[in-house]
Amino acid sequence: MYMFSQFFQDALFAAIAAIGFAAISNPPKRAYLYCAIIAAIGHSTRFLLMSTPAFHLHIVLATTIASFIIGILAVLFSPLAKTPAETCLFPSLLPMIPGMYAYRAFGGLAMCIYNGGENDFSHYFYLFANNGLTCLFILLGMTIGATIPIFIFKKISFQATR
Amino acid sequence: MDTTISDIVSAKTMLPVKTQPTCRQLCLFLSEYAAWLLGCGATCIRLEKNVNRIAEAFDKHVDMCIMPRHIHLTVSSHDRHISFTAISSIRCKAISFDINTRLSRLSWEIADEKIDFTQVQHRFEVITKTPPANKWLVLFLASAANASFCRLFGGDLLAMGIVFVATLAGFYLKQILTENKVDVRIVFIICAFVSSVLGATDGLFGLGTTPGVAIGTSVLYLVPGIPFLNSFSDMLDRHYVCAFSRFMDAMILTACLSIGLCGGMFMMNVDMF
Repeated sequence: MYMFSQFFQDALFAAIAAIGFAAISNPPKRAYLYCAIIAAIGHSTRFLLMSTPAFHLHIVLATTIASFIIGILAVLFSPLAKTPAETCLFPSLLPMIPGMYAYRAFGGLAMCIYNGGENDFSHYFYLFANNGLTCLFILLGMTIGATIPIFIFKKISFQATR
Repeated sequence: MDTTISDIVSAKTMLPVKTQPTCRQLCLFLSEYAAWLLGCGATCIRLEKNVNRIAEAFDKHVDMCIMPRHIHLTVSSHDRHISFTAISSIRCKAISFDINTRLSRLSWEIADEKIDFTQVQHRFEVITKTPPANKWLVLFLASAANASFCRLFGGDLLAMGIVFVATLAGFYLKQILTENKVDVRIVFIICAFVSSVLGATDGLFGLGTTPGVAIGTSVLYLVPGIPFLNSFSDMLDRHYVCAFSRFMDAMILTACLSIGLCGGMFMMNVDMF
């Protein structure tokens, strides 16, 4: 029951996050609803893949699979919304952008320089490399996962605004 | 023959023939079109497809070089006897999926309905004057989004409220500084600093149980998500120059965000790790 409520909370807050972050990039008004639905399904899928004992996937793999689902939904919804696939796709992916990993990588780098000792340097360099690589691979996985459906359904993706 | 012929009657069909642009006219139009599409955040593959679609609709051939801040474009007649080249700087510098959508639709209207070139130019002018979304609405939605993000990272209700206020202040400052044409990198440093200082109040006054989440998520609205996604999308499409440029832009903005955040944390005596 707890897992169930966590799952729905994740979907709800991901939908709000997608609408808000989408608003920054000026999408057409009709795209907001589709972005919210797609982000809710995608983010809660990632939550399931990472949290349930049956899967317990690493964040990179879970994000790639969730992005693939987001990509399929964005391609299918884009003719309904009469927008290019990216208009529904990119804002829906925004709640999964590894922002915290990105700035922690920079924070680690700054601490490397700030702390002169070898042990401290090694520790903060590890944090820099770990966060930076995780961030890069999440981004790569996200883009590959989300782009594959665009190329599979090329005709739908590039004719959505027709 | 590559001349403008308007409202003439085809001898074969007796139907009015639509105005056909010359290579020069089409090249100048397409370079503007591409400059707007690239500037509003379209991927390179979208840009190539739309521009080729328009050129084919007017029975012309187009070759294009997409640079990070410029478009270099040559339009030639079908037999390649006449050609015209233009270079344009990117026009719209803020990401706008609305303009992207409307420019893509315009390309299909040209391809399917074969609309008159003068009509095309008029519609393009209208699209480029599209106003941005209401700034107060964007401010509220971005703040609510960041507060939701705080919840997704496990923040409690108080942390959500603090992140909402920190984002509201930081994003409002971003809007004011951007309107005053302050360099975007300085804007990011200042806004991240302000938001992180406000985000640190959760821990400073012992308000909630998740102060670390509050300060960590208070700056996430500044993460350049769309440039990151665009850069990787261009990389997969083998547009490496654009991909690298967009990636570097996003990295520099993330570095500025981190500088502001580290400054805020240092001032409030909070550790990042």
